[in-house]
Amino acid sequence: MELRAVLAKRWVQALLVLIFWVMLATVLKGVQTQELSTQKNSWFTTILRDFASSIRGNRTESPIFVYFFNPIRVGIQSFIETIMGVIAVPAKGDLIPLLGWFGALVLIGFIVYAASTLRMALFSMAMLAICGMLGMWLLTMETLAMTIGSVVLSLVIALPLGVWAGLNDRVMKVLRPWLDLAQVLPTLVYLAPLALFFLIGIASATIATMIYAIPICIRITAHAIKSLREGPIEAARSAGSTTRQILFKVQLPMAKSTIILAVNQTMLAALSFVVIAALIGAPGLGKPVVEALTIRNVGDGVVAGLAVVFLAIMIDRSTSAAVNRDKSGYAAAEAVKVRRRIGLGVFAVVTLFAIYLSRFVLWFAVWPEQLDFGERVAAVANSLSEWITANLELLTVAGSEGFTVWFLNPLQDLLANSPWWLTLIAISLLALILAGRTIGILTFCLLILVMATGLWNDTMVTLAMTLIATGVVVLIGIVLGVWAGRSARVDRVLRPFLDAGQTMPAFVYLVPVLALFGPTRFAAIVLGVVYAAPVVIRLVADGIRKVPKETVEAAVSAGSTNLQVITKVQLPTSRRSILLGVNQGLIFVLAVVVIGGFVGAGGLGYLVIVGQSKPELAGKGLAAGIAIVLLGIILDRIAQGRPQEARPRTR
Amino acid sequence: MKRVSTRAGLMVALATAGLALAACGGGVNSGSSSSAAAPAESSAAAPASSEAAAPADCGAWSVAMHAWVGYTASAQVLSDVARERLGCDITQTTLDEGATTYDAMEAGTIDVVIEDWGGGRWQEWIDRGAVVELGPGGNIGLIGMFVPQWMCDEYPDITDGANLNEYADLFKTAESGDKGAWLEGPPGYTTIGEKLIEANGLNFKAIYTGSEAALIEALNKGIENKTPVIAYGWEPWYYMANADVCRVNFPANDWSDAAEASGLTDYPELPLIKLASSKLMDSGSPFATLVTNFVWTNEDQNSIAADIEGGMSPEEAAKKWIDAHPEIVAQWLEGTGAS
Repeated sequence: MELRAVLAKRWVQALLVLIFWVMLATVLKGVQTQELSTQKNSWFTTILRDFASSIRGNRTESPIFVYFFNPIRVGIQSFIETIMGVIAVPAKGDLIPLLGWFGALVLIGFIVYAASTLRMALFSMAMLAICGMLGMWLLTMETLAMTIGSVVLSLVIALPLGVWAGLNDRVMKVLRPWLDLAQVLPTLVYLAPLALFFLIGIASATIATMIYAIPICIRITAHAIKSLREGPIEAARSAGSTTRQILFKVQLPMAKSTIILAVNQTMLAALSFVVIAALIGAPGLGKPVVEALTIRNVGDGVVAGLAVVFLAIMIDRSTSAAVNRDKSGYAAAEAVKVRRRIGLGVFAVVTLFAIYLSRFVLWFAVWPEQLDFGERVAAVANSLSEWITANLELLTVAGSEGFTVWFLNPLQDLLANSPWWLTLIAISLLALILAGRTIGILTFCLLILVMATGLWNDTMVTLAMTLIATGVVVLIGIVLGVWAGRSARVDRVLRPFLDAGQTMPAFVYLVPVLALFGPTRFAAIVLGVVYAAPVVIRLVADGIRKVPKETVEAAVSAGSTNLQVITKVQLPTSRRSILLGVNQGLIFVLAVVVIGGFVGAGGLGYLVIVGQSKPELAGKGLAAGIAIVLLGIILDRIAQGRPQEARPRTR
Repeated sequence: MKRVSTRAGLMVALATAGLALAACGGGVNSGSSSSAAAPAESSAAAPASSEAAAPADCGAWSVAMHAWVGYTASAQVLSDVARERLGCDITQTTLDEGATTYDAMEAGTIDVVIEDWGGGRWQEWIDRGAVVELGPGGNIGLIGMFVPQWMCDEYPDITDGANLNEYADLFKTAESGDKGAWLEGPPGYTTIGEKLIEANGLNFKAIYTGSEAALIEALNKGIENKTPVIAYGWEPWYYMANADVCRVNFPANDWSDAAEASGLTDYPELPLIKLASSKLMDSGSPFATLVTNFVWTNEDQNSIAADIEGGMSPEEAAKKWIDAHPEIVAQWLEGTGAS
């Protein structure tokens, strides 16, 4: 082949860039690395620090606080506290909230029944009872109240915006970049700025949850309105209906079940946020999970984490059941309707009686001690974690050292310990070659901004961890994903683990991971892998399953071996899903690698954390947040899997 | 649509009826609605007894609860004395130390920090008149660098910081590359590790462990597996009381503000400071007097912390100490009007 033809190939170009990069980096190791001591500020972080301190100083007097931020804070706080007063937090001097546990339990059951079916109501009550038996009743109710409150506020903002964006493409165009940005934003990042404006507490936590949940809701709602069939709308229009009438009589009713799905997703998003929100003062189940890290009590964290999982299952199932009922409900026969009406009536009476009991009989008011198994579960979790630590330690220590020396350190040398301009140019060139000119230029500009924050070195340390962890995640994802995609049995075995892995807050396994690997970057990588693997496995398995049966059969009958079928047919055909998996893996990993700051991984995550507690480093924390966002955008753009809609969310 | 609205109507009607029923007083709540404040976290616990008559109107105040056990001991004793002897309505609020807490004091949600290690980093809040410094609470904090005891046995001269470089190779890990790994403390804590390394020309690299859990796991590994480790530690700290470690000493200190430390010398003994909100101090409440008077020793605090570590609840441990030391409590109560 002619030399020019070879050089025109993209992978050859990328390889050449890589070779030059490695060679130059080896020669220039340790030169102009822009390393900045953790305790020192750059000019940019100094500006941010002074800015943060001036905001602190102004919070009580400046008009923008007195007339804008403070009223919002007080309003949201009292709204959430009102809901909490009903099911979760006793008034001063009281023993129980407005409703004792039994009343709250049956009332929630009734609401689920009214929205879906009796079976689902019983199931929901059972899930909540399990949370109670874990000794977490009041905390579960605090979390539920927070979730309901922030979801209501999110829906008030997101539903109208979503409908508007669904009706009007121009609105969607304005919103889309923000929705995209919100999706790549690791949640740890916006906590510090929020706390600066709204202080630590319920209000900040609620707003943080809303920022997280609103984009999802807008996306699904807009999609619901947009994807309606044109027929009925045209018919209504030709019958002389106004736009307003069409919206309320045709479009909204038709899109209703998808919009309920948006509510379902919004609730799950809000719930998956409880632990992170606890870092800025959200009450509820997140608190013991975060505290478990300080007092090293794995058991308490696991118990609270389990309660989060059960609450998530309950909310997911009951709102999905509401969607299904809504889809099928209209065709019900008259006799069924009557029976249901009687059922509702009976349940209503039972509920009133339960509320009465829960107010006047102690056993029904305060969760009874005989039914509290939390400590026992915690003890089991503790001994399990001790067993793992004691028996797997030798294996893990050797493995993690080797991995760090052979993979992580060389990559970090290349990215962080070589001159900044070399890394900057090399990454931009690779982006140019792999993702096109626009993204190449974008990458270059964003990297310049990273440089301007003064945290170049820390950003590259974080990038090295993220890339390595993503590599591992994708490897695991493809192997297990292909396996699950080809065999229904494997899929059935894996599924519960994937579900639990996705809902269990990453904080819960922080302490066991620490015990196994010590305060290292490897610990952070393990966290990222555990958290991101389920999503990638799912996406790959979905892709494999969608490969047409005929294609596979044709290959088999042509005499291909299993391995050939996988590598020549199934993987190439599901390339899109795998690309999407890589993209999602990157974003999920980045979100959790940042949490690695808690386990000695350093980098940007540590700066975010230290910025929260040391005023003199507040500027560095904010700057690190900005750098993480920039890094997130760069990674997302370079590894962009084309299908934009309906991407799963990061935490 | 019609059926949906009946359903919604039914739900609203029921909810209203339920809440109305619930709101009409009486029941289990009426028994405990006196001023005896139930503990903030678990309202299910028995309310504290409030037999001693309140001398003056104490009011409702919030005490910050920080994560370390020594702090818990101090805060619990303070809260219980205030509740039982002054009839105060005390809420205990768990939150991070440092800026988070000072912000909360400025916002009016926290009134007392009974033990702060910050060494003056609250100045900004004092300048704005939000926070008042009440001086030392009697506990002395001491930060330092520690290695497992077996290392001191094997290499006796390691306890002198000047000899550390001879052993730097021992501390090498995959994290620190060709230098020794120097494990730093949790994010909010005062540290001059980077300065110590630089000024003394130590061949070490500071690794920020990020949490107390990470620090303890690292030290535990070093002690149990006999792997060399050097890590940040402090006293009073319950972990220190039982851990088999010894201190690496640097020359006596020449600084009190970490920002001005030269890095050549060790951490100083740090009198731990009490802070209060100006709201509390301006109120004239007897609780303000109690907090101002509160003084005790490391042994006092450690005895309670040890009881808590041994499995007692903070309330029980605090009660045990209060019952055993009536004379100290009496000194704290001077000027409050309590009998």
